[in-house]
Amino acid sequence: MIKIDDLSYNYPRYKESVISALSLKCKMGSVNVLLGLNGCGKTTLIKIIAGLLDNYIGEINIAHKNHQKLSIIERSKILAYVPQDINFADEYSVLDYILFGRVNTMKFYASPKNDDIKKVRELASEFCISHLLEKTICHLSGGEKQIVSICRAIIQNTPIILLDEPMSYLDIKNQHKVLEQLKRVVEKGDKTILLSSHNPNHALYLKGYVFLMKNGKIIKSGESKNIVTINNLQEIYGEKICYADELPHREISLLL
Amino acid sequence: MVKHCMNNTKKTRIILIVSIIVLAILFLVALMVGRYRINADTFFKAIFDTSGQYLTENNVIRILRLPRTIIAILVGMSLSVSGLIYQELFQNKLVSPDLLGVSNGAGVGAALAIILGFSGVLLSAFAFVFGITTVVLTVCISKNFKSKSSMILLLSGIVVGGFMSSILSMLRYFAQDEAIISNITFWLMGSFAYTNMSDVFVLLPIVGIMMAILLIIKWRINIIALGQEEAKTLGLNYNLYRVIIIAMATLLTASSVAIAGTISWIGLVVPHIVRLVVGRDTKNTIPITIVFGGIFMLICDILSRTFTSSEIPISALTGLIGTPVFIFILLRKRRTLET
Repeated sequence: MIKIDDLSYNYPRYKESVISALSLKCKMGSVNVLLGLNGCGKTTLIKIIAGLLDNYIGEINIAHKNHQKLSIIERSKILAYVPQDINFADEYSVLDYILFGRVNTMKFYASPKNDDIKKVRELASEFCISHLLEKTICHLSGGEKQIVSICRAIIQNTPIILLDEPMSYLDIKNQHKVLEQLKRVVEKGDKTILLSSHNPNHALYLKGYVFLMKNGKIIKSGESKNIVTINNLQEIYGEKICYADELPHREISLLL
Repeated sequence: MVKHCMNNTKKTRIILIVSIIVLAILFLVALMVGRYRINADTFFKAIFDTSGQYLTENNVIRILRLPRTIIAILVGMSLSVSGLIYQELFQNKLVSPDLLGVSNGAGVGAALAIILGFSGVLLSAFAFVFGITTVVLTVCISKNFKSKSSMILLLSGIVVGGFMSSILSMLRYFAQDEAIISNITFWLMGSFAYTNMSDVFVLLPIVGIMMAILLIIKWRINIIALGQEEAKTLGLNYNLYRVIIIAMATLLTASSVAIAGTISWIGLVVPHIVRLVVGRDTKNTIPITIVFGGIFMLICDILSRTFTSSEIPISALTGLIGTPVFIFILLRKRRTLET
């Protein structure tokens, strides 16, 4: 579904590569977590795949199509992107915001019809956010905002969803809320998900495929249960790490 | 939820119909009032008169008041809607249509034309060309930074606008002739006093075409307002829309300023009033801003020529009315945020 070969990228006017000779492969219907410290290149990689950064070296194929040859509209029908925050949408209602996800299905002069609103209503009910639809974005909690963003990505009806650190600004309760909803999407099995995170517990919770990143490279990859190990994590985090076995599912924490 | 959305659309439709009726009434009032007052009875007799009995009234209405009233409406619509689309594009509620220096550039063009002894169409042409050139200069400077951020464009606009403003000050300083200086000053304060039907024939097609394009893409402006990253990943060609929006706002503002002079406030205040009434969705705000802009400017024009023997400059009135309205909106918004 996503196949990257020998990808390198450096920001304009910077000599140092943020991504260097990176290769990865995400299977159809899988959940994939890019795990690594802040600044290791996770967001850059997500943005390159989302088509937000050009002039990279290497080859990216998405749904068997060359990434660089895709037009903006074609790409929007394959990839949906969930940004870290949605602050510029503060004054819109949740309904309006989710409806924006339907724009790539409409003619340039059209606006949402009853059918689009009905689809949003059904999705909102599925994600237990029907009560939020009339609220404005600025009145939502951080977790609710992320769930609304995920709903917009789903209404875009693409086979791939990219999420850029969806839990970065959230407290533990809200992180759990978002993870729960993501798990629902994953369990359906019709979407390929690639998300970035600096928290190994997210990868364990989602039981997905993990790519451990360090200095713009993938140093290890595989099933989360095999990759999220103390030795591997110490290699990228450089700190003492332990299992917290008494928690309901295996968790990892820094040994303070 | 369908019901909620329909209610919103219904509310917008009702506001739109009521405001169009208000605009139509003000249009008739604007044709009747002024230093030569015409009452309603005489007005209707004069416009349908073929005998020549109401020749004076007919001439006042047709030659003096009709063009300036149409121009006032078109300029109000243009500046208001340009302000709205710029505020959405630059994700900044405090920007106005002259953000990229179009008004300052047009001011330099007009001042040069006045110094060279030109008036009428030539003066407007100078103002228009200088206004457009200033925006092109702003865009070219921002391109050199090779940054995709709108902030660079915004900063370039402030810098180039400031530069044009300095040139204007120099022109006024070196002009020396009192008559020329007062002409420049009067032009800079905006007026519809010297407009005629040929101005209408120039402005009407420009405004008509731009408004038609805007009404076609009105819902999509919402997505542009979310910023480059979101617009692109949702499937919109952000750069193309940015060029379209800047081109439309520049054409609308430059042609308005070229005909009526510099008019401040309206492009900033009207979009805020409209958002307060119908919310943020540009599907609703764009048509309402167009009509509200016409109403606001027409009220200013009526006031400018009704209460004193000489005309009050339009910019003075837009500021006088715009400031309290703006403060009222800010207070209302603060209260909304606090609750």
